[in-house]
Amino acid sequence: MTRLPPNLIIGAVLVALVAGTAALSLVWTPHDHTLLNIRGKFAPPSELHWLGTDQLGRDVFSQLMVAARNSVAVALISVCLGGVIGVALGLLASAMGGVVEDVIMRIADIGFAFPALLFAIMLAAVFGPSLMVAIIAIAFINIPVFARVTRASANQIWTREYVYAARAAGMGRVTISRDHVLPNIAAPIIVQATIEFAIAILAEAALSYLGLGAQPPAPSWGRMLSEAQTLMYLAPQLAIYPGLCIVTAVLGFSLLGDGLRDITDPRLVRQR
Amino acid sequence: MIEAAGLTVELGAGQAVREASFVIAPGDRIGIVGESGCGKTMLGLALMGMVPDAGRVSGSLTVDGTQMVGAGEATWQRLRARRVAMIFQEPMAALNPIKRVGETVMEPMMVHLGLGRDAARARALELFREVGIPDPEARLRQFPHEISGGQRQRVLIALALACDPGVLIADEPTTALDANVALRVTQLLVGLAERRTMGLVFISHDLAAVARATERVMVMYGGDIVERGATGEVLVRPRHPYTQGLLSARPSPGNMRATAGRRGRLPTIPGSVPPLAELAPGCRFSGRCPVELDVCRGERPPLRGTMICHRAEEGA
Repeated sequence: MTRLPPNLIIGAVLVALVAGTAALSLVWTPHDHTLLNIRGKFAPPSELHWLGTDQLGRDVFSQLMVAARNSVAVALISVCLGGVIGVALGLLASAMGGVVEDVIMRIADIGFAFPALLFAIMLAAVFGPSLMVAIIAIAFINIPVFARVTRASANQIWTREYVYAARAAGMGRVTISRDHVLPNIAAPIIVQATIEFAIAILAEAALSYLGLGAQPPAPSWGRMLSEAQTLMYLAPQLAIYPGLCIVTAVLGFSLLGDGLRDITDPRLVRQR
Repeated sequence: MIEAAGLTVELGAGQAVREASFVIAPGDRIGIVGESGCGKTMLGLALMGMVPDAGRVSGSLTVDGTQMVGAGEATWQRLRARRVAMIFQEPMAALNPIKRVGETVMEPMMVHLGLGRDAARARALELFREVGIPDPEARLRQFPHEISGGQRQRVLIALALACDPGVLIADEPTTALDANVALRVTQLLVGLAERRTMGLVFISHDLAAVARATERVMVMYGGDIVERGATGEVLVRPRHPYTQGLLSARPSPGNMRATAGRRGRLPTIPGSVPPLAELAPGCRFSGRCPVELDVCRGERPPLRGTMICHRAEEGA
């Protein structure tokens, strides 16, 4: 058994921490995160309020837990949505080749060039800001990323001899894509998904910070950060806690992605 | 039944196969020999409709009476596996590393013959027995890395036979195997072709294997079928200068003695097969031919009897 790379272990622990917190918030939080207590505002950490209370006297720890759930849910849904569409387009481009491939990849290039924030502002202007807007915007920017990774990996598989053997056995492009290409490119796609997860969490925080994502009273790390901004001199801890949560989640998923790539990419293994 | 007439495969750089004509009837065993880069594999791929996208196929190729030149991918797909099947050179690379070998063999039967999983599994088991895989039940569930090269080639043969094809094209099926295993795989292919009255196209560098496996042979050089005939005849009394060169380059005690020089060096054909774009417009072999005439370089020799050679009449 070879030793696992340390970034994989640290990443997995941090991700487990964030995911565990998010899951736990579904069944238990120390307090109701929406409960106001104006008289008890800006309370310092205590046995009752582990991380104190905010400007409206709400329990900060409970808010962070529920916000973790929102962040993970938005990242999960948007990366899955963008991933499924992107992978499908990448497989299609690779299987068809020629004009179809060119058209799909040029559209992906345009998608790449389109700023996600602008897209989110546009959506928010049309539909009103909500978590759904954040999800669609993040999913949208993920489509070309996955399409590119998938096509590049799939093109390599299509030149393998076992794909020739499958064609010689009369398999069509769809069957070969599904049964031979996709399983063999799963590793780079999973690695990409993990890294995109980190980016999605950051993007959700940014969109919520700008007021385009989670709406009050739904807590979100980004929105907590933006609300704390005006109170920076009065209660700096209110900005620090959600900031630390974002750092933990993003670092965790990035390290996990790096670690997964390290153990699945044989070229990197040899270098170590 | 495959009939090719003037079958030509053009790649960007030139003609990889030039006006090939032949017939493969049920039960025929035909060898194709020649150096690397002579168009053997390209001819095999053309018979499968699997010439690379950049290639252009012209002439005539009928499979069981259907004209396949200009046919689309969908038409070919219906033909592959059921009429023509192919096995490849590298048994190591020709199996999907993350698929159980049983699944790989079952797949075409489920797609083409509409068999259910259980029926396909039963037939895969039968095929594994037919190609001589020991303990077939256990093999079905194994991954390619768990079985040896010779067994993998047998699995690939089972895959090719899955839909009971009329013609099997074997592209250097024994090149990657050691001599002992190669011999047994060759015998297996011959046995299968005889039992099933299936056409066999045996593409190989290995003249001994071709002699063992086939009744007729076609010698290819630079995309031309330069000589053809009964295997025993061609390999014993080669008439084309290229075939003669090929045979005399075979390591055997007789050949070693025949050459001058103190150590008894193995004769070779001087030079190597030039890239497609640099082939002579006339006889492809000109430039390397020991008995070249002035006409050879510029003028394409016609097919005379069984040979494409300007000196065919002299018996070269």
